[in-house]
Amino acid sequence: MTTQRVLPQSKETLLQNYNKRLKDDIKSILDNLTEIVKTAKIEDETQVSRATQAEQDHYEMHVRAANIVRAGESLMKLVSDLKQFLILNDFPSVNEAINLQNQQLRSLQEECDKKLTSLRDEIAVDLYELEEEYYSSRYK
Amino acid sequence: MANERLKALEDTEKEIASVLQCAGNIVLELSKDKPNGSFLDRQLVQFQTSVNRVENELTSQIRYLTQVATGQPHEGSTYSARKDCQMALNRAEYAKVKLGELGRTCEVMLEQQQQQQQQQT
Repeated sequence: MTTQRVLPQSKETLLQNYNKRLKDDIKSILDNLTEIVKTAKIEDETQVSRATQAEQDHYEMHVRAANIVRAGESLMKLVSDLKQFLILNDFPSVNEAINLQNQQLRSLQEECDKKLTSLRDEIAVDLYELEEEYYSSRYK
Repeated sequence: MANERLKALEDTEKEIASVLQCAGNIVLELSKDKPNGSFLDRQLVQFQTSVNRVENELTSQIRYLTQVATGQPHEGSTYSARKDCQMALNRAEYAKVKLGELGRTCEVMLEQQQQQQQQQT
């Protein structure tokens, strides 16, 4: 479906924002993991002493790992926002859900009324006899 | 239809967790003195597969929403059908109450009749 649709500015902006967040978070995860793997390589020659380099690498890996986790959580938030947007704005499925619910309620109502009607017909026969008995008794 | 899309998004959440899990396993394995190369390769392949899957799924969901979203709130409701159904259930309840009263009246009359017969005998 490639029809051009004119969305309101806010919805258009929101969806573009979702796209941007997705791309940024995926890029962040990939880049940070790549850099961690690169940093894990032991260099023979270092500009500073080994201890300093090790400390720097340690700190860098901590920060990059935290970035990966932050990007993961940001993706989770994006999924949650998408779910909310879907529930509110996915009109085809909302329409389908409403139609289904209406059908179920109407069929329940029809079944109820059908049973009441058949009950009325059965009781009408018995009621006729009861009325005969009552109006020919001394209690009327 | 809605449930399938929401279910797909829930599976995507699990996939994101799997991405982080794989990344953690890779870093853990690299921290060892002798990292297992084949394990690293497997984890990396799984990581890349999961990341691609997450990206593709979310992109397709956003594309679908771009196509179906309007700026308007949905104004459909099930109120009328629900009200009709509620009234039908109320009718059934009322009929039940009235039949209950009729039944009790008949029982009371029968008891009185039996007592009178016993007194006469």
